Amino acid sequence: MTTTEIATSSIDIFSDEVLQDPYPHYAALREEGAVVYLPRNDLWALTRYRTIRDALENSSVFSSQRVAFNDDMNRALAGTSLATDAPDHRQLRKTLLAPLTPRALKSIEDDIGSKADRLVDDLVARGSFDAIGDLARAFPLQVVSDMIGVQGVARENILRWGEAAFNVLGPMNQRSVENFPVAGELFQWCKTVRQEDLVEGSLGHGIFESAKRGEIAPESCGAIIHQYVAAGMDTTITSIGNAIAHFAAFPDQYARLAADPSLVRSAFNETLRYEPPVNLFGRHVKSDIEVEGTLIPAGAQAAVLFAAGNRDPRHYDDPDTYRIDRDPADHLAFGYGIHTCAGQGLARIEALAILSACARRVRSFRVGEGQRQINNMTRGLSSLPVLEIRAK
Amino acid sequence: MPHITYRDPNGRTHVVEVAVGLTVMEGARDNDIPGILADCGGACACSTCHVYVDPAWVERLPPQGEMEADMLEFACEPDPVRSRLTCQLRVTADMDGLVVTIPAEQA
Repeated sequence: MTTTEIATSSIDIFSDEVLQDPYPHYAALREEGAVVYLPRNDLWALTRYRTIRDALENSSVFSSQRVAFNDDMNRALAGTSLATDAPDHRQLRKTLLAPLTPRALKSIEDDIGSKADRLVDDLVARGSFDAIGDLARAFPLQVVSDMIGVQGVARENILRWGEAAFNVLGPMNQRSVENFPVAGELFQWCKTVRQEDLVEGSLGHGIFESAKRGEIAPESCGAIIHQYVAAGMDTTITSIGNAIAHFAAFPDQYARLAADPSLVRSAFNETLRYEPPVNLFGRHVKSDIEVEGTLIPAGAQAAVLFAAGNRDPRHYDDPDTYRIDRDPADHLAFGYGIHTCAGQGLARIEALAILSACARRVRSFRVGEGQRQINNMTRGLSSLPVLEIRAK
Repeated sequence: MPHITYRDPNGRTHVVEVAVGLTVMEGARDNDIPGILADCGGACACSTCHVYVDPAWVERLPPQGEMEADMLEFACEPDPVRSRLTCQLRVTADMDGLVVTIPAEQA
């Protein structure tokens, strides 16, 4: 074996300082090595595009038994599609994916489009609003809650739950500790929710029907609903918010989109590349493996830095520049391999509906200062005031 | 370079050269051939790059993996014998002459 000296870095990738502005730190790690050991986190960071994609494809070595960075959450996630390896993963994923494929979603695509048009009409008429609260959060909240059939008190809590569900995937730092009780509320609700709590005809209601028909175990209903809420809410919110922030930060790019709204698919891919909603996920290294000359020992935990890979100059030209015509459909924001984001079809429909509604109505807009939302796993904003709009 | 023939949903035929190592999906994308959407960028996660392989070629292509087989169940009107996802077909020299038909709908 040709193992050379191990690249190491003393940063804590979950510190406020790094999460406030991670990209210079990710760039430094990426230049340090394709694999960098982080003693403070006891993690082996995978930093480059090709390394990340290869690891995600090699799920027999890079196991999903430890996708979270603390043991409590990894125990809580046991048995979900997210945290299960082959061969058991296959059926879990199929059940989760069935209602989320482009074909399955075709029947609600037009409805999502009309909801997006109505929301943006209303916001344009108001003239100023918060791009996060009134748009990026409001829209998926409405779409996903309606889809799952969530109503009443649960609907009021679903945003808090979604954000906490990501914070608690981090290491046991202050942020995780504070968010565990909130994430616990979501687990508890999913465990106790009954079919009659969900709107008839909704996806959530239908899951209980599947259990009645014996297609899935009755105790799986709550776990599946948990995955739709925990995985489907904060990620989509963050991506839509980031897209608006990118349009505001790069007005020449937004002007191109407003002139040609058909670029929206490419623009959304560029947002997912430039600032993926989830910075990283964990993997459990099941057996010794040499990656680019570095031996990662069996039993170690790898940190797969999607956000670092997405800015790798070995793969993308001029990676720190935001260009809406780049169409980087091979970005790592949805992962890769057998655990590739199952909800990406829905996320894409929601984001393209709302962003194209904006591009078709708004010529240009001006924003005030946004507030960064610090989360162990996700990168987004908590507010972004839109001060002025020039409608078409 | 291998030549691949794509019959698009409008009834037009495109014969293009696709470099060894690219996928049949990437060959369509790089040549602006309509009908292959590949929403997920080639991650075998959307089944919108579905084609029907010419019967003469079915046996000559590498077999489907588990993920491709599962995703094909979610495609539009899959054919039990001829359907493939083009993001999972990596072009080799002996695929010269491959003929695929793109379905009218991907979702």
